[in-house]
Amino acid sequence: MPSMRGGTIYVEGRSGLHKLHPLTKLALSGLCFACAAALPGLPWLLGMFVLVLMPLAIWGRITRAFLKACLLVVGPFLLSLAIIQGFFHGGDTVLFQLGRFTYTLEGLMAGLLFAARLLVALGGTLLLMQSTDQAQLMQALTERGFPARIAYVVLTAIQIFPSFQDRAQVIMDAQQARGLELQTGALNRARLLLPMVGPLILGSVMDVSERAMALEARGFSSPAQKTSLHSLADSASQRTLRWLLVAAALGLLAWRVGSALA
Amino acid sequence: MNSFRKEFTTLSITLIAVGIALNLALGTVVLRLGLPLYLDSIGTVLVGALVGPWAGAATGFLSNLVWTLTGLYPQAFAWAGVAAIIGALAGAFGRSGWLNSIGKAALAGLITGVVSAVLSAPIATYVFGGVVGAGTDALVAAFRAAGLDALMSNVAQGTFSDPLDKLVTFVVVWSLLLALPAREKARFGNLPATSKERAPRGATRRPAGKTTQKTTKKTARRR
Repeated sequence: MPSMRGGTIYVEGRSGLHKLHPLTKLALSGLCFACAAALPGLPWLLGMFVLVLMPLAIWGRITRAFLKACLLVVGPFLLSLAIIQGFFHGGDTVLFQLGRFTYTLEGLMAGLLFAARLLVALGGTLLLMQSTDQAQLMQALTERGFPARIAYVVLTAIQIFPSFQDRAQVIMDAQQARGLELQTGALNRARLLLPMVGPLILGSVMDVSERAMALEARGFSSPAQKTSLHSLADSASQRTLRWLLVAAALGLLAWRVGSALA
Repeated sequence: MNSFRKEFTTLSITLIAVGIALNLALGTVVLRLGLPLYLDSIGTVLVGALVGPWAGAATGFLSNLVWTLTGLYPQAFAWAGVAAIIGALAGAFGRSGWLNSIGKAALAGLITGVVSAVLSAPIATYVFGGVVGAGTDALVAAFRAAGLDALMSNVAQGTFSDPLDKLVTFVVVWSLLLALPAREKARFGNLPATSKERAPRGATRRPAGKTTQKTTKKTARRR
């Protein structure tokens, strides 16, 4: 996992990319998925990344963070794919031999193709998440009829999990201060699991009824239309752009399915 | 549909959010302990056991959505369906009383682990080219070298690591349920009352005996 601490990878900013309506960026990441699934070869996929995603990241002034996240997420895949596909995909062009196993060029290319597909699909998602506040994304979705209860669950989880991580750290420190040893064998560490996670989980489950009461007191289950404190900026051109992006994604997929059947 | 509605009260929705946060927090903290386990579904199994199969499924599915949304593990959404089934299974095992004894809980964990391995393998094979981008890929390579095909290597890798992970998860949840006050468990009403927790005859409105399970559900706080 790229980052071990903290809530999200969202990078605050005031660039044009940040100011786009969340659904526009969501449609863009949808197009990235379609491209990853449908584009035929390595040059197309890398072109999509370099000519579309990279300029957008530069526009959003998150180039470094974006490239770092891509590397951390896709890097392990690239390594595993290069090894496994290279040795086991099969092919005639042998690059080198290791014992009875041969490493083929065809395998390497197949691995690179898979990695490039993942790069485009996950890159689109990472770009969306780095330039969009989750609360705004959820608000945009609920305004279009996405269930508000699911949005609540998702946002609450995102907000409270860093504090859970902190609590787990505090518990771990407290147990260590009382003589719990972390530098031991795997079996011993497994035994440490319970004193560590137990208090965290039990405490948080017992807090649930208080949270629920607080929600009820604020009309959570009321069927009335809820209003929002913040409003999202949208424009006619963005609405058109969204439809174009969705149409392009669907068109690409239809073309791919069509050419696969033909 | 009725049972579906019953599992999504304000109380259980709050618990689902906490369950997801637990999945994420433990998933990252356990990595620091350096154990060969993921333990990223303790929250899912706990919610499933306490509230029921639908709530468990929702916790699993949304956990993977949140992994993706936070950007900490964006590929997680591909496995959201598998996570949902793990939660649903936990709900079913909880309802049928399997989480009341450590032996049955361990067996439930093993079964869930095998199911999760078999369902995950095609996703790893066809979406991610046979790898998951983690240390377990070494196992996949070993199975490929032993002559298994792409899909079977992933199934084999999964059955190597998933049942153990889910076994530990279910046993942890079993011990948590043991430590959780009966009042908290009854609030959500999925688990059958164990003999120790049954109130003496006349102490509450709950009659003892065969009907206990049914009436507990009715008297539990639910709207």
